[in-house]
Amino acid sequence: MKTLADLKKIREKAQEEMKLRGSSVRIKIVVGMGTSGIAMGAREVMKTFLEEISNRNLTDVLVTQTGEKGLSSLEPVVDLIEEGKPKVTYGNMTPDKVRKVVVEHIVNGRIVSDYVVATGN
Amino acid sequence: MQDISLHLLDIIENSVRATAKNIKVRVINDHKQNLLRIIVEDDGVGMDTGTLEMAQNPFYTSKEKRAKKVGLGIPLFKQNAELANGSFNMTSEPGFGTVLTADFELDHIDRMPLGNLKDTLLGVIIGHPDVDFQITLLFREKGREQSFHFSTAAIKEELGDIPLTYPDVIEYIDQSLQEGIQNTNMEVV
Repeated sequence: MKTLADLKKIREKAQEEMKLRGSSVRIKIVVGMGTSGIAMGAREVMKTFLEEISNRNLTDVLVTQTGEKGLSSLEPVVDLIEEGKPKVTYGNMTPDKVRKVVVEHIVNGRIVSDYVVATGN
Repeated sequence: MQDISLHLLDIIENSVRATAKNIKVRVINDHKQNLLRIIVEDDGVGMDTGTLEMAQNPFYTSKEKRAKKVGLGIPLFKQNAELANGSFNMTSEPGFGTVLTADFELDHIDRMPLGNLKDTLLGVIIGHPDVDFQITLLFREKGREQSFHFSTAAIKEELGDIPLTYPDVIEYIDQSLQEGIQNTNMEVV
């Protein structure tokens, strides 16, 4: 059974880490979660990002969900936003593509151009 | 949508777009009354009577800036509840929020599966860190009742400035939900 005491331990551990490397968010991931996105598998895309963050212990990444942006035929759609860089939008995402984007783009800093459907704002 | 948990996700996203700060989700799996009930209650902007009626019409959407002028989320959920001899009800008050209830006959042949409730809940909790979620799962059968409550406000308070996307926190929430779902038999097919 999970208890609040477990959370306290997590907080202490996280605070130690933050002291060492700061608490900045390097990359923000935004998963489109409108009706058509959900119907096309956006929840599994979100879930895979969360799994990868957890498995790879990525502490400088933030994931949020947002509504539709009128790219219905390209759903599921994901934006990657990095400070000082143009926004990158990936389309037709699947769990496998998410794993590739995490390794290539988020960890190694190389955009996976095959999956990009838009850049900039 | 292939299952109820995906409809639930869609409905919760509606609440978030309606700028809700508190969202209550209840899932009741009641074998005594042969009922599967989903309730989503939010404190978002709410709707007046006309908008509420239109929201159940597929050719209406609140998303004015969008090219696509249809909104199928609510009408499809309603249709799927009614197909399983259930019912669908929304009440709303502008400025106060909206309550949506969908009932399904539990053993009806056309009832959709509940699906992956955990992934729906995990995604909305972490994907909307500014929203507080109160989740209640209730399982009821002859002579036995089992419930699970999960409130994100207490977790956020305990975490302070540690984000919900911190890896160990994701795992914590994932496991808590998993235990709750198992204990309340919400893995129904």
